[in-house]
Amino acid sequence: MKQKTGRLRLPWLWTGLCLLLGGLTIQAQQNFTISGNVTDKINGETLFGTSIFLEGTTIGAITNEYGFYSLTAPSGEYILVFSHMGYKEISMPIQLNQNLKMDMEIEEFSTQLDEVEVTAEEPERAILRKPEMSVSKLNIKTVKQMPVVLGEVDIIKSLQILPGVTNNGEGSSGFHVRGGAVDQNLVLLDEAIIYNTSHMLGFFSVFNADAVKDLKLYKGGIPAKFGGRVSSVLDVRQKDGNSKNFALTGGIGVISSRLAAEGPIFNDRGSFLVAGRGSYAHLFLKMAGEQNSVSFYDLNLKTNYNLSDNDKLFLSGYFGRDVFEFGGSFSSSYGNASGNLRWNHIFNDRLFSNLSLIYSKYDYELSIDDFSFDWISSIKNYNAKYDFKYYFSDAFKLDFGVSTLKYEFDPGQIKPKGPDSAINELQLEQKSALESAAYVNAEHKLTDRLTAQYGVRFSHFNRMGGQKLSLYANDQPLVYNNTLQFYQRNDPIDEVSFKKGESIKTFSNLEPRASLAYQLNDYSSVKFGYSRAAQYIHLLSNTSSVTPLDVWTPSGKYIKPQLSDQYALGYFRNFMDKKYSLEAEVYYKTVDNRIDYIDGSDLIGNNTIETEILNGESRAYGLELLMRKNEGDLTGWISYTLSKSEQRTFGGNAGGPGINNGDWYNTPFDRTHDISVTGAYRFNDKWSFGANAIYQTGRPVTYPNGQYIYEGISIANYSQRNADRLPDYYRLDVSATYRPNKKPHKRWKGEWVFGIYNVFNRKNAASISFGQNVETGANEATRTAIFGIVPSVTYNFKF
Amino acid sequence: MKSYYIIVLIALVSLMASCTDVIEVDVPEGPIRLTIEASLDWEKGTAGNEQTILLSSSTTFYDNQMPSPVTGALVTVTNNDTGTIFNFEDQNDGRYTTANFIPVLENSYTLNVTHNGERYTGTETLFPVSDISEVFQSKEDGEDDEALEVNVSFQDPEGIENYYYLRFQSRNDMLPELFDIKDEFIDGNEATFYYEKTEDESNNIREFEPGDIVDIKLLGVSEDYYNYMQLLIEQFDSAGDPFSATPVALVGNCINLDDSSNAPYGYFRVTQMVQDTFTFE
Repeated sequence: MKQKTGRLRLPWLWTGLCLLLGGLTIQAQQNFTISGNVTDKINGETLFGTSIFLEGTTIGAITNEYGFYSLTAPSGEYILVFSHMGYKEISMPIQLNQNLKMDMEIEEFSTQLDEVEVTAEEPERAILRKPEMSVSKLNIKTVKQMPVVLGEVDIIKSLQILPGVTNNGEGSSGFHVRGGAVDQNLVLLDEAIIYNTSHMLGFFSVFNADAVKDLKLYKGGIPAKFGGRVSSVLDVRQKDGNSKNFALTGGIGVISSRLAAEGPIFNDRGSFLVAGRGSYAHLFLKMAGEQNSVSFYDLNLKTNYNLSDNDKLFLSGYFGRDVFEFGGSFSSSYGNASGNLRWNHIFNDRLFSNLSLIYSKYDYELSIDDFSFDWISSIKNYNAKYDFKYYFSDAFKLDFGVSTLKYEFDPGQIKPKGPDSAINELQLEQKSALESAAYVNAEHKLTDRLTAQYGVRFSHFNRMGGQKLSLYANDQPLVYNNTLQFYQRNDPIDEVSFKKGESIKTFSNLEPRASLAYQLNDYSSVKFGYSRAAQYIHLLSNTSSVTPLDVWTPSGKYIKPQLSDQYALGYFRNFMDKKYSLEAEVYYKTVDNRIDYIDGSDLIGNNTIETEILNGESRAYGLELLMRKNEGDLTGWISYTLSKSEQRTFGGNAGGPGINNGDWYNTPFDRTHDISVTGAYRFNDKWSFGANAIYQTGRPVTYPNGQYIYEGISIANYSQRNADRLPDYYRLDVSATYRPNKKPHKRWKGEWVFGIYNVFNRKNAASISFGQNVETGANEATRTAIFGIVPSVTYNFKF
Repeated sequence: MKSYYIIVLIALVSLMASCTDVIEVDVPEGPIRLTIEASLDWEKGTAGNEQTILLSSSTTFYDNQMPSPVTGALVTVTNNDTGTIFNFEDQNDGRYTTANFIPVLENSYTLNVTHNGERYTGTETLFPVSDISEVFQSKEDGEDDEALEVNVSFQDPEGIENYYYLRFQSRNDMLPELFDIKDEFIDGNEATFYYEKTEDESNNIREFEPGDIVDIKLLGVSEDYYNYMQLLIEQFDSAGDPFSATPVALVGNCINLDDSSNAPYGYFRVTQMVQDTFTFE
């Protein structure tokens, strides 16, 4: 692998240098810069993705995550336009003969609680020209009007009705992007890594929609500023808090309720947001005498403070927890916690910077009373990042920065609850690692029609000492038993102890990223993208759906970093006066060093994971189509994905043919067809309606191909891994929103949301298990279907 | 350890999954193979001379005409340390028996089966087992504080690796309750395991009641057999559940010397065993 990247290095840098110089020469004219921040007029939230341009030219800019923009043009008279979907467009004549600072507040079309319009995320002119591709951006308002199970707005579920994104069935955690695994998604909440995106095993997402401003999912073409995962990046940003007025928003639902408070503080130099959410279904269960219960809660915090016109501080935090109790016998709880301090500094009208200090943690606790012990595991990280954006010229913009991230892994400890416990204390080897990176990325307008984005990320991973490592005969943690024909664990022959300052193993990778957009005409463009990404930490999971108990592990002596290469080609078109838009993409992705687990692998409480795994590869390819209607009373989209995701695992050093005889087999997240249709219809000012229809090929599973009697029971024999499929999945959901007449001067605004999930009450199989009937002993197949028809009602309010 | 995780996961699923039903699913048809159930269990304190080996053939998954006995095979077991050969006589119903077996702790044994011109073989070592120190009933332990459960305690010897297989069979029930036990986390301690049934009307399962009889067997087994049973029990309990591992074909310790692609199912085990019968009061 090293050699491969070595060969890439020189030509890459050379090209970069040439293009950089090209950028500099354009700069040498009589130019001036306009810069500033764009905010919402009503609540003062900074706006991401606002398009600012000089009318009649191709010169323009888009606000970044913090609402900042900068654009440079030759001196002259222009009409400056601020345009943001769902907001009133502002245009003003300007005389550009000096650098201008132009902060702008723009106003929404409607100040209703929820916008009824489904909006295309960015002005179409930007979509066509920007090389950015393979990106799904969802407006939180769009998310809020989709019908959802039990009335709980869910960002992750909304993403799944876009092309290329699926989950592993109802009641499964996380999501899959372009045939990738759950652990291959980098999920960021205000830049902090979120390790588990689900509450209640996937029934709800950890993101409280009232606290979220916007989200962006990169399915490919991941910008060089992101790294560490090979499949996707989900970038979720929390609201800053209303800087104009104190406001309360909330909702009361069947399962849970939420409340958010926001307002100005520090004499209007800042604002804050506090949002909380909790479930209470468990209280009813307890009242009904049910011993088992499940509940969750979470808390979002954010505050910011303007130090000066050019300096702004942000402090944000998240804390969420799930609690399960099973009678008196055991209980378990788990959750994410994160905190983040950021400092935005504008060096000058062209150089924007952000420094972040970030902490995040995921931990899992299990307490078993019968055997009186506690089981605890966790992953923690501390992250420092410094990101810059330099607006060289209208044609050339540069992102660059550095990041370093320290991981601490505690894969598990067992603590007896008292001297009477039959269980001995145990601590699995704690691990730590340092992942550092530097990147540079340019957005370069080569001609009026051709724009390129290219960059490179250099990543370095240091698996640090302070632990013991097992050694094996012939360096084989497992070996193929040729006689019995299966993979067998080897026992360690020795142990080596690494001191704290020592390094067990280091890896480094150059990750080039590039994309090109060529605008064919005013309404269509083609784009091409390539990206390479490295992933140094892995979620150990041999189950078909990941569970909250699964443990992360770093690369090291026995596990290599995953490396992905993805190629994508897309065609984008607006038609009927931009009423409709079409996005079509094909992709091909390979991942090297994707581990898989041997038959009968046992990952729980295991100090020697290397004895359970083989090193393999995976590949995924597909076609994604998205057709949207962007305007009018009826809006929505149709999305279709045709795809394949498979993996292959050879025996390698362990000998033998590998998993599934070394042949390709389906990953559990392979879906041949995935179609969804979603629509929103605004009937009048009071009533609006929404619907989703979803069809998916069933998930790959392994079915029995025979049985035999042993120990008085029927033992099923299983054939090829993931060779069979669950029945196809389909579902229709509908919702209706009622907004009572509101009095113009009343601050209280409320709405009722009525929803029906799975209208046809179809029993979609989440899984099928095979076993003997306890009475007759005959073999049978049992389907688990999680949600039948689920009606719900939620009341949302804003004050 | 693992079984508790699985219990947790099953409980998580059952809590959520209010909705299960039996459906018809077409399954693939694999090859038919010889199944060897050679379980030479020597009950502590007895001579252990009478032993039975069962041979049958596998069937399609939904075939209810089980078992289908295999007759006409030649079956022998050899003590590899002494060279003694024990012949097992064909009873023409799938059972092959001997009254001459001599169990010796820590000795290694080899099974040889010849059937339809193909030779099958497997090797196993006889390991000792701890005595059951106590069998008692309780209500407050277990998942349900109201339901009766039977508890079995035994003392694990300290400082040596031990593997156990524990089997409960309630005489009123069709299916047994199985445990694979490794002393990794309980080395040198007295360990207690329980069997409790929770009421399930849809499956017609009721809690234990006074008068119910449970047969209990505790076996000292090899590490390989423990691994085999661990997977067998895991898949028997939960194969196909959303949080279970991808189910796989079990690989026993017997091979086909003439056609390696036609390996037999089942296992050749030689163990020391203690057993008890408990009647709920």
